Amino acid sequence: MASILSPLASRELIVVTGKGGVGKSAVSAALGRHLASVGRQTLILEIDPRENVHQMLAAPPSGGEIVRVEANLYLQHLQPRTVVDQLVRERVRVDFLTKRVLDSPVYHHFSEGAPGLKELAVLGHSLLLVQGRVPDAPPIDVVIVDAPATGHGVALLRAPRLVSEVIRQGPVASMTKEVAELVADPRRCGVVVVTLAEEMPVTEALELRADLHSAVQREPDLLVANGLYPPVPVGAGESHDDEGARRLWYRRRRLNDTELERLKRHWSGPRVEVPLFPLDRGPELVSEIERELSR
Amino acid sequence: MIETSWPPLIIVVGAGGVGKTTLAASLGLLSAEQEEETLVMTFDPSLRLKDALGVGDEAKGEEVEVTSHLWASLLDAKQTFDRLVARYSPDDRARDRILHNRYYNHLAGGLAGILEYMAVERLFEVSESGRFRRIVLDTPPTRQALDFLEAPTRIVDFLDSGALRLALRPWFDAQGQLRPTAKLGRLGRRFESYLDEVVGLDLLREMVEFFQAFAPLFDGFRERARQVEVLLRSPSTLFVLVAGPGEEKIPDALFFARRLRDTGYTLGPIVVNRMHPAVEGYQPRAAAGGGQIDGLELFHWLGERDDRGFRELGQLVGVDYPLVGLPLLENEPSDIETLHQLAEQFRRRLRESVETHRAVS
Repeated sequence: MASILSPLASRELIVVTGKGGVGKSAVSAALGRHLASVGRQTLILEIDPRENVHQMLAAPPSGGEIVRVEANLYLQHLQPRTVVDQLVRERVRVDFLTKRVLDSPVYHHFSEGAPGLKELAVLGHSLLLVQGRVPDAPPIDVVIVDAPATGHGVALLRAPRLVSEVIRQGPVASMTKEVAELVADPRRCGVVVVTLAEEMPVTEALELRADLHSAVQREPDLLVANGLYPPVPVGAGESHDDEGARRLWYRRRRLNDTELERLKRHWSGPRVEVPLFPLDRGPELVSEIERELSR
Repeated sequence: MIETSWPPLIIVVGAGGVGKTTLAASLGLLSAEQEEETLVMTFDPSLRLKDALGVGDEAKGEEVEVTSHLWASLLDAKQTFDRLVARYSPDDRARDRILHNRYYNHLAGGLAGILEYMAVERLFEVSESGRFRRIVLDTPPTRQALDFLEAPTRIVDFLDSGALRLALRPWFDAQGQLRPTAKLGRLGRRFESYLDEVVGLDLLREMVEFFQAFAPLFDGFRERARQVEVLLRSPSTLFVLVAGPGEEKIPDALFFARRLRDTGYTLGPIVVNRMHPAVEGYQPRAAAGGGQIDGLELFHWLGERDDRGFRELGQLVGVDYPLVGLPLLENEPSDIETLHQLAEQFRRRLRESVETHRAVS
């Protein structure tokens, strides 16, 4: 089973990132399903104000809990704030103190505003999951983080370094160091960038790649060009007969091709193209994407 | 509500990747064509749109003339924040103390909400200047596109919260030791080293220094944030909501529309952008399959999906807001001419929609 996904099969953490609306959740679900099918205990961690991934997998909503989807596959939806709160609960073990901390406006502003804290909490939680240190969680081999839109995706990976610059000692610092090591190690952590083959998304994907490089000296492990219109049939020209939908199809596909070319010029690493399917979001769509990814 | 009668401020909102920037630019063009001095403010537009508007990095921090009556500027959050600090600092020393604080630099670059706040802040600044009859703001590309509406409130809340008063107490003595614990002798020193272990005293020192440096600026900031909020809620600020096509985008659009309405902002037209048109005379093939997706079959499916989504959204928002459907274009607008075409389409469809509503009500 040598596919473009094979190198990702042995990672502990895979961050799926890209601009909003490019299909990150569908790709995360497809990747999760694939890794589960090759026997990895996989958890998809969705960090977004609203839940999406469960719909893709026809699973019940997580509501913060770990939900079993199918053999080897789990799902958890978390608000970043919840993860920070959990961290406080773990650190401050006295109940009434915990409550006072969590309720205080100082904590509220700190946890909302402190640069990198939420992101670090998400990565820290992922690390604890694969280390089997989360109470009541099943054993997990790999966590797939369905990251929020682009800017935040880099922020996620940059966070450990940012935090370690300001917090240099103590338990938070040592967790930060552990997370920073995980993120910096290409054998343990993978980065998947999802984009549409359109101008703005491609520009942002290339910027993201540059940011990744400068922030954590990493390259993406895989670039997914999603939602491609079907190829223009061989021999089809710019005929006058091409009106309406056919004309629009050819034009949009040629636009896809131009942008795919631009991607190729700037990125020679692993890349996979996924067509647009006439399917609503759901397990059937995820299966099709999984098939394209694991080809 | 259209054209010359448009309000002086138009804020284009919506989820990422729905074509907000392009629409903001064409709304600006529409206004400029009425010979009204118009400014389009945008965050990092695509390169092609930069070409279309003829602006580059020189438009960061200042307005650049694009075509007659149309101006554009690119927003830079850090620069705006720096300028704000400079404005409210009592003297150069106070200003430099903040600008060189390490915590400020992390904060200004990384704090969630700062980018959003700086967008409305800059909007306020330009609108105060009175240089433009109309300003169109393209909002930041965040997933939570309404974050920026809360930004002024959040800043005021933060300034009023105990966090600051607490931070402003004289925590550290001249030797950089914690005052309250120093009094407690050995026990105090143990507590201090515990604190150092948990969060790190370096961080605390820098935060405290930051807030102390910031203190003289609070009143100016708080007042400013309040004025910004008043501006956003004023009836002369119109929100235009842009949504992507298809049924799965409806919850997004409804979520935005309700939030805007319920919190007292003035919501105008809702635009469903990039709709796939219906495929005329489409005949489904007897046995599709063989793995390859047929383009026309896909477009037929997409056309039906988008039409269904549009009609459902129309029923859900009712007659309160005109709904404007804009088609997926063959090419993204890349010059003033194509922007003009998009603007014309918007104007025509908005008029149709308003007339339909009138007929209904």
